[in-house]
Amino acid sequence: MPANRFNAFTEYGIGIGLRVPHYQHILEEKPVVDWFEIISENYMIDAGRPLRVLDQILEQYRVVQHGVSMYFGNATRPNRDHLKKLKQLTKRTQTPWLSDHLCWGSVDGRYSHDLLPMPYTWEAVETTARNIREVQDFTEIPVAVENVSSYAEFHASEMTEWEFLSEVVERADCGILLDVNNIYVSSKNHGFDPYDYLDQVPHHRVAQIHIAGHTKFRRYILDTHDHPVLDPVWKMYAHAIGRVGRTATLLEWDDRIPSFDEVHREALKAKQFLPDARTIAA
Amino acid sequence: MAQALMRPLTSRDRMQETWIDGSPTERVVRDFIKPNDRLSSFERIQIYNQQYWWRLLASFAEDYKGLRAVLGPRKFDRLAVAYIEACGSQSWTMRNLGRQLEDFLGAHPELTAPHTALALDLARVEWARVIAFDGPEKPVAQPETIASIPADRLHLELQPYITLLELSHPVDDLLLKLKESEIETGAFSNAVASDHSARRIQRIRSRPSAEPVHLAVHRHQLSVYYKRLDREAYILLLALKDSMPLEEACAVAFAGSKNLPDADAARIQQWFATWMRLGWFAAAKRG
Repeated sequence: MPANRFNAFTEYGIGIGLRVPHYQHILEEKPVVDWFEIISENYMIDAGRPLRVLDQILEQYRVVQHGVSMYFGNATRPNRDHLKKLKQLTKRTQTPWLSDHLCWGSVDGRYSHDLLPMPYTWEAVETTARNIREVQDFTEIPVAVENVSSYAEFHASEMTEWEFLSEVVERADCGILLDVNNIYVSSKNHGFDPYDYLDQVPHHRVAQIHIAGHTKFRRYILDTHDHPVLDPVWKMYAHAIGRVGRTATLLEWDDRIPSFDEVHREALKAKQFLPDARTIAA
Repeated sequence: MAQALMRPLTSRDRMQETWIDGSPTERVVRDFIKPNDRLSSFERIQIYNQQYWWRLLASFAEDYKGLRAVLGPRKFDRLAVAYIEACGSQSWTMRNLGRQLEDFLGAHPELTAPHTALALDLARVEWARVIAFDGPEKPVAQPETIASIPADRLHLELQPYITLLELSHPVDDLLLKLKESEIETGAFSNAVASDHSARRIQRIRSRPSAEPVHLAVHRHQLSVYYKRLDREAYILLLALKDSMPLEEACAVAFAGSKNLPDADAARIQQWFATWMRLGWFAAAKRG
């Protein structure tokens, strides 16, 4: 049963990211996993081994697409070639929703391949919402936009990050992929209360949640996705679930990737915080 | 901000302290980035500057292991920085990062000297590997269709994932040797870009071949392969790729041949049997 208009897939439970080192284990052992999240760009290709593996995965599992280079926050409109390839892939995966990041990443045809922070201005709200709407309209699939972790803030910002996110998703009429770890990382790097963020985003738009590990340095925290989830992030996750209700949750582990079983075990820790599938958010 | 994060790092992997116009970078970035109680504006942007270079350099090194093994890590890093600074990534996928490398190396021989010819050969083969890995694949032409069209009107289309190359070095042997050494030492296992200066790598060298090496870089059953071609086979395939009808392509390939026609015909028959088995022809059309 849907928890809200943007969260129509509460039964999705807990997923993990599909990563190359686990291909063989998954195909041979066929472990029970609620769903896999794929990085869309890894499969937006014409042919070859990655697509063959994806097809084999699709025979057994539900797959949700997550993008890393649509750059909703770019000043320019989404790249048409990129959109076409993305849509082509959605037909293959039958993904129920698509996600990408609240960031920019390329300028004048040069790509940073990074999730760059945005100045939180009213002008950026309009541009970003326009780009999200365009992706949603073109792909004809609901879009959820993910908050990124960041290490820099702009003088030009006119609002907080959560106010910016809220304004963007209202204008784009899209969902939110709430990355709890990213909120924690940014809160430490910028000195805000992460619970203010969790409490003030529009809960009725949260379509998915990300959890992950990070690395603490002496003066800042990096979003490295190479550790188990840390306790403060689990606490925030519990708080977020209390606010938004049962929501599809995904563990990201992208570097120093341990065995499949270890990653899956870590993801399943989220189960203790998820209410029964029949529960609907208040 | 983009200009700041895409400027090359210093030799100590730090952001450059002097801006393009000679003013302090700190002063430039302070104009748009807030400092906080722990990091200056400079230090905050430096995180992105480092991530940009480490990510792109790691991807480039992953795609050009052969070139790295020939040039050595320091020279390769200098080349990589120069290339990325000049060309950058112009695609949403890092798969295309090396698309302009061959042209860049041709225009900057000083970056690969004294191994320029070998470096060019490697760059061409390693880019061909990228294409062979995930390039488009069309339905394979059926033997009955091919047989039904007379040779003087038969146009055969090569699969788009195949690259035909004429090389001055036996790069295929070199790359296979490198792959074997990787398997033995694990030298090219996943590693973060920040440690590239410390990583030991296998160095490889090669003398030019006495005769040009003709090579097809292709894909078979989802794996990338190199296939050596006879000179005539290479010319024949190149002519087919240029939309020449089969009969004319054979004539071009064997122009000046001193063999008996039957001997040449037997070779062609043998090649086609192999190429058909490998699914190299995507379409057969009557022209």
